[in-house]
Amino acid sequence: MSLPKALQRRAMRSTDIGVLIEKAVVISLAVAGAISIMITIGILYMLISQSYGFFSNEHVTLKGFFTDSKWTPLQASSLEKTQFGIMPLLSGTLRVTVIAMLVSLPLGLVTAIYLSEFASHRVRSWLKPTLEIIAGIPTVVLGYFAILLISPGLQFLSDGFATFNAASAGIAVGILCLPMVCSLSEDAMRAVPRSLREGAYGLGCTPFETSIKVVVPAALSGIISAFLLAFSRAVGETMVVALAAGTAPTLSANPADQAQTMTGFIVEMIKSENEYGTPRYFSLYGVAVTLFVITFVMTLIGQLIRRRFKESYQ
Amino acid sequence: MRPTDKPKTEIPAALRSQDSAFLEKNTRRRKQLSRWFYVVCIMVALISVAILALLIASIVYQGQSRLSTDLLTRSHSELYIERSGMLPSILGSLAVCMVCAAAALPLGIGTAVFLEEFQPTSRFLRWWHGFIQINISNLAGVPSIVYGLLGLTVFVYMFNVFGKITVNEYSGWELMGATNSYQVLTLDPKIAVKIPTDSADVQRIRMTGPGYVLGPNNEWMQIEIWDPKSGDPRPRDPSKRRRTVKLGQAGSLQTEKAWYYFRLPFDKSFLAAGLTLALVILPIIIIASQEALRAVSPSLREASLGLGATRWQTVKNICLPAAIPGIMTGAILAMGRAIGEAAPILVVLGSLVAKSTGPKHLMDNAVTMPVLIYEWAGRPEPEFQELAAAAIIVLLVILLAFNSIAIYLRHRVQSDSNV
Repeated sequence: MSLPKALQRRAMRSTDIGVLIEKAVVISLAVAGAISIMITIGILYMLISQSYGFFSNEHVTLKGFFTDSKWTPLQASSLEKTQFGIMPLLSGTLRVTVIAMLVSLPLGLVTAIYLSEFASHRVRSWLKPTLEIIAGIPTVVLGYFAILLISPGLQFLSDGFATFNAASAGIAVGILCLPMVCSLSEDAMRAVPRSLREGAYGLGCTPFETSIKVVVPAALSGIISAFLLAFSRAVGETMVVALAAGTAPTLSANPADQAQTMTGFIVEMIKSENEYGTPRYFSLYGVAVTLFVITFVMTLIGQLIRRRFKESYQ
Repeated sequence: MRPTDKPKTEIPAALRSQDSAFLEKNTRRRKQLSRWFYVVCIMVALISVAILALLIASIVYQGQSRLSTDLLTRSHSELYIERSGMLPSILGSLAVCMVCAAAALPLGIGTAVFLEEFQPTSRFLRWWHGFIQINISNLAGVPSIVYGLLGLTVFVYMFNVFGKITVNEYSGWELMGATNSYQVLTLDPKIAVKIPTDSADVQRIRMTGPGYVLGPNNEWMQIEIWDPKSGDPRPRDPSKRRRTVKLGQAGSLQTEKAWYYFRLPFDKSFLAAGLTLALVILPIIIIASQEALRAVSPSLREASLGLGATRWQTVKNICLPAAIPGIMTGAILAMGRAIGEAAPILVVLGSLVAKSTGPKHLMDNAVTMPVLIYEWAGRPEPEFQELAAAAIIVLLVILLAFNSIAIYLRHRVQSDSNV
C-alpha cells in the first residue's frame, strides 16, 4: 500500500533521530544555563584565591584590615610602611551611599506614588520614558555632570566643599538610583489589589490617606526590596565616584570632604603603575571581596523580600 | 435646628465629641492635606524631568564648541589638544560591542529558553532550574567592576597559567596569525628587508652572509653582502644599494600580526573587554528574554504540541518567532548599557587613550567611548573638559538611536498584538 500523495513528498524521518536531536538540544541549553553558574563560581574563586594571596602576605592581618584607620597602598613609599585598613574606604562608600539614598528614596518613592495613584494616562506616557532615559544615561556621563555642575553648585552654596567631595558624587549616584527605586516601588504599588483602595475610599479616606496608609503599607515589602537593591547599586557604582568623589581615603563623616570609595580605589589602583601580582596590587582584591559581600547580601535580602511579597497577592 | 425639636434624652458621649463643626473642619483639613500632597507629588515628578533637562542643557552648552568633524575623524592628541578627536574610540566601542553581542546573545537566549520552555520533569531538574534562576537574579546585582576584575583575572591574565605577564615583555602561547621576521636595513637607508624566522627566541641577529630575504613589497629576492673592511668601494648604483647589506648589520625582531592573530592569555585586548562586557549584560538579556517568552500565549504552544511537534520544534517554530521582537528589544537595551559601561572596560583594558586607530587584530588594545570620556573629564585642561562634553553628546546620540530602535520594535509588537 502506498502512502497518500501529500505524504509521499515528505521525507519521513525516523523518530529516533528526533528524540536524539531533542536530547542534544536540551543538553546544550542546559549547558548555556550552567554557564551563568560558572560565572558565579568564577567570581567566587577569583575573589577567594586572589584575596588569599593578599591576606596571606606578612604585612597584612585580618584584624588590621578591619580596624586600622589608614589605607595607603597607593600613597606609601614602601610595602613596609603601607597600612591596610579598609575603614576609610568603607566610610567613603557609606557617605556617598547615604547621600545617594537621601536623594533617591524620597524622590523615587513620591514619584512612584504619583505614577501609580494619581497620574493620568497622558502624564504617565511622558514621565515614564523620561525616567527610562535617566536610567539609560551612562554612569560616566553622570560623573561628568557631577564635576561640571553639582560640585560647583555646592561650592557656590557653601564654602566648605572641596572640589571633589562626597556630596556631589552622592547626589549624582542618587540621580542614578532614582529611576530604579521609582520603577520597582511603582511595580509593588500596582500589584496592590484594587479592592484595598476601593475599601479605603469607601470608608471616606482622602487620596492622600489611601496612598500613605493603605497602598504604601501593603506594598511595603516591595518598596523595602527596591531600597535594598538601590543601596547595593549605589555601593557598587564606580564611574561617578571615580570622577567626582576624589582620590584621598579619609575616615570622617563630613560630606564636604574628599571620599575615596571602595570602587574608586579599585579604579585608581588599576590606573596606577603597580604590577599585577604584587601585594599592593592584590589589595584591590581584598577591597573587591568586601564590596562583593556587601552588595551580594543586600541583593539577596532584596530578592528574598520581593519573592515573598510577590506570592502574597497571587 | 428649632429649639422645640431638642431631644429629651442627652446625646451619647461618643457622638457629642464629633459635632458637625469639628467634623467639617477635620474633613476640610484632610482634603487640604490631600490636595497639598498632590501638588508635592507633581513637583517631585517634575524634578526628574528638570534634572534631565539640566543635564542635557549643561552638557550641550559645554560641548557645542567642540562638535566638529575633527572630533569624529581624528584621534586623541596631547600636543594638539584642540584638534583631538574620538574616531578610534568609536571604532573600539563598535568592536567591543560586537564581541559582546556575539557572546552574550546566544548564551542569554539559550538560557532563557531552557528556563522558560523546558519545564523540569525530574526533581533534580527542578532544583537545577530554581538554582539557575536565583543565581541569575543575584548576578544582575553584582557591581560591574567586579565583573571587570573577573575579566582581568580570567581573560587578561588567565590566572598566570600561561606564564606571568609583566609590563614590557609578555610570554604566553601565540597560537596563530603571527609572523616573526628580522628587519635589516640595506645600504639605502630608506629600504629595509625582512628575514622570516620561525622562533622568536633571539631578539637580534647580525648579518653574516648573502641569502634570500623578503623585500619591501613582500617579494623574495637575493641580497648581497658588502664588507667595509674588504676594501671594496661602497656600491653607488641605487638598485644595487637596495639589494646590498653591510656585513654585521643588526636586525631586530619584528612581529607582524594578521587580523586573526590569536594568543593565550588574551592580554589587554578588545576580545577580553568584549567578553567581560558580555558577562555584565548576560543577566539582563536572560531576564528580558524570559519575559518575552513568558508573554507568548500558551495556546500557541499547546496547539503546536497537540499537533505532534516536539518541545524543541515548538520552541524553534512557534515560541522564538513570536518572542523575537521582545527579545530584540531587551537585547538592544542591554547593548545600550554595554556601550555606556566604562568600569569593566577600564579595569580590563586600562586607561590608555593615546591610540590612533581602531583595533587591528583580535588581540589588539582598544579605546572605548566611555573610557575616553572618563579620561578627558579627569584632565584639568579646559579643552579636554569641553572635548569630554562633546564626546558625551556623540555617545548620547548613539544611545538615543539605539533606544529609538528598541522603542519602535516595542511599539510594533504592541500594535501587532492588538490586531
